[in-house]
Amino acid sequence: MTYLWLALGFVVASAAAGVMFARVGSSRQSTRTNWAIAALTFLVLAILTAVFDTLMIGMELFHYDPTQLIGVRIGLAPIEDFSYPLACALLLPPLWLALTGRRRQKQNARRHSGLVSQALLVSRPVSWINTAYPFAAAMLLTTREIDWVLIVGTIYFLVPYNLAMYGINDVFDYASDLHNPRKGGMEGALLAPQLHRPLLWLVAVTNVPFLIVLAGAGGLAVWISLAFSTFMVVAYSAPVLRFKERPVLDSITSSTHFVNPAIVGFALAGVHITPGLMLLLAAFFLWGMAAHAFGAVQDIGPDRDAGIASIATVFGARRTVRLSMAAWTLAGLAMLATPWPGPLVSLVALPYLLNAAPWWNVTDSNAADTNRSWRRFIWLNYGSGFLVTLALILFWRQTS
Amino acid sequence: MGFIYLLSLLAGIACMLLLDRRFRLYFWRDARAATVVTLVGLAVLLLWDLAGIRLGIFFRGEGQIATGVLLAPELPIEEPVFLTFLVLCTMIIFTGLQRMHERHKARRSS
Repeated sequence: MTYLWLALGFVVASAAAGVMFARVGSSRQSTRTNWAIAALTFLVLAILTAVFDTLMIGMELFHYDPTQLIGVRIGLAPIEDFSYPLACALLLPPLWLALTGRRRQKQNARRHSGLVSQALLVSRPVSWINTAYPFAAAMLLTTREIDWVLIVGTIYFLVPYNLAMYGINDVFDYASDLHNPRKGGMEGALLAPQLHRPLLWLVAVTNVPFLIVLAGAGGLAVWISLAFSTFMVVAYSAPVLRFKERPVLDSITSSTHFVNPAIVGFALAGVHITPGLMLLLAAFFLWGMAAHAFGAVQDIGPDRDAGIASIATVFGARRTVRLSMAAWTLAGLAMLATPWPGPLVSLVALPYLLNAAPWWNVTDSNAADTNRSWRRFIWLNYGSGFLVTLALILFWRQTS
Repeated sequence: MGFIYLLSLLAGIACMLLLDRRFRLYFWRDARAATVVTLVGLAVLLLWDLAGIRLGIFFRGEGQIATGVLLAPELPIEEPVFLTFLVLCTMIIFTGLQRMHERHKARRSS
């Protein structure tokens, strides 16, 4: 049955992408004609597949694990093989029409002007490394080899994952972002409303194939970690769930966005779980929570005006800053308890504590000024990344 | 070690390109778009193959007509060539059928 599921995954993803491209490519009436021609194309390809697949299997060019098939064959070709031409006919003609559709292209160029460049801005390129690095480090340090799963996973957590996280966020935050002067530059882009639907489609099309392939590369632990990671990304800002507006859950969810890639990496590598590993993940998680909570302090004013709840609007500026500092301290202490060279990483807590310390007595009225310290985060993160990398190299040499 | 399979695939691709050239269907109509479509198709189908190999569904055969040269475990050098052929075949059939439909429509309206 495995082949059937794999094929279904790719056919569904191709169909979704095809439908999206068809919307971009042509008018409603010609879309119907074009789908009919695509269907005819599939029919021709299916006949060719029946003939040539049979020949190729007969010549022993390839074979299948029979336990993975449902067992229905046309000639010698397993029925699942017909999913290849089906996916081709669903995906490629609409893509071609979208790229060549001249008449509507000009119109669309205006409507979808720069979907890709907007999407790039939306995905926060300065933060890409924050999710790809935990994944790649976790997996590489466990398997000690670069294989295709590592490469595919790193690409996934580098771009599509961030596009999903920030893209869904920006679409559903559009209204409140309008009043936020921080959006539109390095810290995120304001997204024109007519780009909202195409962007959500782009998120689906870029994420689903990667998720299917990564899920196929592992067992139950991988499926659970991927499902959890995807859920947390969607739940953060999607309507109804809106975890970002539920105090405390907002910081927890935001932190899992960075811890989950590491967990998926460990799961794909089939790691052996030790107390030291659990402490490491706990420290990483606390660090992420502290960062989110501190970041929420600067928005207390605008959030309260807009009636949006966050960890900072509930606890107030002063207590939130102090909570963040406590979490960073705890994270540092947890790292002290891990095996060498883990304790070295506890140093990472210090710059964050120093950066936040001036705000120990902050009030709700000057909370917005904490933006000064928050803006240093991007550089602090790169610095910590450097220190963590040194520790990881030490760990690598010590254990290999 | 045999080259019949690889050569047949290359011959198939050549035939598709000849049709393309003769009727200006695909690369000869919009080279940039055709390149994008071909690369996207190839990438998706290769990912699919690799996933199937990883899941233990596909195995390469020991056929006499294949070279036996492997790009990765269970992935012979002929496979990306075959997938390219599949993409080309799809697009030549599609653009060809589209052309026939247009001609038919034009003749009826004139």
